[in-house]
Amino acid sequence: MGILENKFEDNVVVAKLDKLIGWARSTSPWYFQFGLACCAIEMMSAAASRHDLERLGMMPRSSPRQADVMIVAGTVTMKMALRVKKLYEQMADPKYVIAMGSCATSGGPYWQHGYHVLKGVDIVVPVDVYVPGCPPRPEALIEGLLKLQEKILDERPLTRKMA
Amino acid sequence: MSSEQEKLIAELIEKGLAGDMDSINAIEDRVLRSKVKSGLAKAKRAAKNAAVAAAKESSPEESSAEIMPSDHPNQKFAFMIEEKFPDSLADTLNDTHIQIKPDQWFEIASWLKSEPSLYFDSLQCHTGIDLGENMLEARYNLHSMKHDHKIEIRIAVSRDNAHIPSIEQIWRIGDWFERETYDMFGIFFDGHRDHRRMLLPEDWEGYPLRKDYEVQETYHGIIIPKVKEGWE
Amino acid sequence: MGVVHGEEMVLNIGPQHPSTHGVLRLKVKTDGEIISEITPVIGYLHRCFEKHCENMTYDQVIPFTDRCDYLAAMANNFGYVVAVEELMELKVPEKVEYIRVIMAELQRIASHLLALGVYGLDIGAFTPFLFMLRDRERILDMFEMTCGARLLYNYMWVGGVSHDLPKGFVETAFQFLDYFEPQIEEYNKLLTYNKIFIERTADIGVLPQDVAISYGVSGPNLRASGVKWDLRRNDTYSIYEKFDFDVCIGDGGQGTLGDCWDRYYVRMLEIKESVKILRQALAQMPKDGDVHQALPKKIRPPKGSIYSRTETPRGDLGFYIESDGSPIPTRVKMRSPAFTALSVLGELAGGWMMSDVISILGSLDIVLGEIDR
Repeated sequence: MGILENKFEDNVVVAKLDKLIGWARSTSPWYFQFGLACCAIEMMSAAASRHDLERLGMMPRSSPRQADVMIVAGTVTMKMALRVKKLYEQMADPKYVIAMGSCATSGGPYWQHGYHVLKGVDIVVPVDVYVPGCPPRPEALIEGLLKLQEKILDERPLTRKMA
Repeated sequence: MSSEQEKLIAELIEKGLAGDMDSINAIEDRVLRSKVKSGLAKAKRAAKNAAVAAAKESSPEESSAEIMPSDHPNQKFAFMIEEKFPDSLADTLNDTHIQIKPDQWFEIASWLKSEPSLYFDSLQCHTGIDLGENMLEARYNLHSMKHDHKIEIRIAVSRDNAHIPSIEQIWRIGDWFERETYDMFGIFFDGHRDHRRMLLPEDWEGYPLRKDYEVQETYHGIIIPKVKEGWE
Repeated sequence: MGVVHGEEMVLNIGPQHPSTHGVLRLKVKTDGEIISEITPVIGYLHRCFEKHCENMTYDQVIPFTDRCDYLAAMANNFGYVVAVEELMELKVPEKVEYIRVIMAELQRIASHLLALGVYGLDIGAFTPFLFMLRDRERILDMFEMTCGARLLYNYMWVGGVSHDLPKGFVETAFQFLDYFEPQIEEYNKLLTYNKIFIERTADIGVLPQDVAISYGVSGPNLRASGVKWDLRRNDTYSIYEKFDFDVCIGDGGQGTLGDCWDRYYVRMLEIKESVKILRQALAQMPKDGDVHQALPKKIRPPKGSIYSRTETPRGDLGFYIESDGSPIPTRVKMRSPAFTALSVLGELAGGWMMSDVISILGSLDIVLGEIDR
């Protein structure tokens, strides 16, 4: 180490730039409340008194420009699928998507005869975390958000990705 | 069976038709008793069929005003409709619903709402249904808040000519109900001011709740049916 | 001086917006701040409920009815099960009736709490939302204790219920009711008689009685306009005639009869009445009885059709079921109260300002899952 050894006081932290950026992005992601159906109520319960999401730094934002992560909560229909894509494109980078509930994951209970139901939101937007359940408990959604935080921590934004 | 037994059975059946069941129930031999009872059931059914056939034969000769309704409120209402609008009923009087032809439906509906003794001021439910055999039907459940009575009106149309007069001016909820029925079944409501699809997108093809509906493969490039490759 | 040329602006309150009602789109024509015309566009949550009903057996339909009005799932189950049992002419044991009424009334309190809390949130009051959701969580705890689910239960089956009440349910329920009744006074102090809330909601969106009946509005929206119509009294089903409760109607307490404040206040009064019914039902319920004894082996209703209605927190929910004797229904039509409530928005909102439209929409208490099915 040579030059740098024994130079810094206790209040200086040294880390890789990648990890620092990941750490800054992952804590306190603001979520875009895209509540569509029943899962939206569980998302609201997760944000309300008992399972408080704000203590983890997650604030609900209604505009896509101000949000980091889009929680697609509920069934996406064909009529709505085009709007989901548009809203995803309006979000600013870096952006992540959580598919909450079995309807957003793979069509849910409506997979068999639902002619108007999109069988999984990953057909129109790329999804990072899937939270199963019908509807998933607020604790499950919080676990999904924490898993997303781990994923963001491990991202290496500065290196060029292999094609 | 011996002829004596047959005569005995015939006598007991006669008594049973007249209403005397005690002599039949008193028979000790189980086989004989069951024969008598089954013969009695057959005789009763035959008698009922004969009565219905006789009624059917005689009804074309009578005019509709001579068919008297029973005390059931449904039959009374149907009778009132037939009196005021002749030749509008499409079926005989019964206890569950009133089947009418689509031509005079708007006038009948206005009268049902305004007539003081009926005063059906609320359209509770409007259902479309695919009867099969190329027939579609629209069913209206009407209710009166003042008198607290209700009826069900059914109008059947064929798929090639599915037109029913619209009643959205009379009961304002008919506006949205009829648009939804059009969306799901393809029944056209003549006179509707805003006749377009309600729940499905404007450029959707087909009427989903018909029994022979085939889902389209893609919508704006998105695949609709569930893709199952990659399972197991 | 010249003439200022103005024209109407079409504003789109899009399908995605921060409120509970769901994915509703409003096409609003405004002249400055004053609205001239509103057209609701629905169908963004059309999940083909009626098509599923035509391909599933009668008891497989029950989870799908849950998901239609997801804020009052027990009430949906109740409505469907009452319709099928009437079609089959099936009688259920008395304990099952009591359990159903208890669950339905608890669900009514939970649904109204959410509706009122979110209404306050739409107006801008954040604290009542948190308080009401906190109390709603206690009710959801009781549901979870009984059947394992917080929001969508699949609890009421044709001929019975899925699980018997667990040990300690009655005590927990009484504890909850003793805790909850003073809370209603706290909500009144926070929101109901709050001066800003009254300014935002009184005299706005007045719904006359004949318009309400012609548009098929029902439930608290109709009762707030002064019409004394409650299906639990007028068209009784289950064992509601055994309980003593009042039918609450609006009286123009803070403004005109039938305004937004009346619709809010009727829901608050209904919570009190539900507490009354719950106390009576919990006390009168028979202690022992098998809840599964009347479950039919095969659900095959006779050929025929039926239209039956029950009172949910949003109004009267109607099920039109047509059966042809097979285990799969031919047609199930769900006539939802929120559908009719939303259709009257066009009449109510003309001439008001943009923020009043939010006020009116919140007071109608709609759920898009039920409207689009």
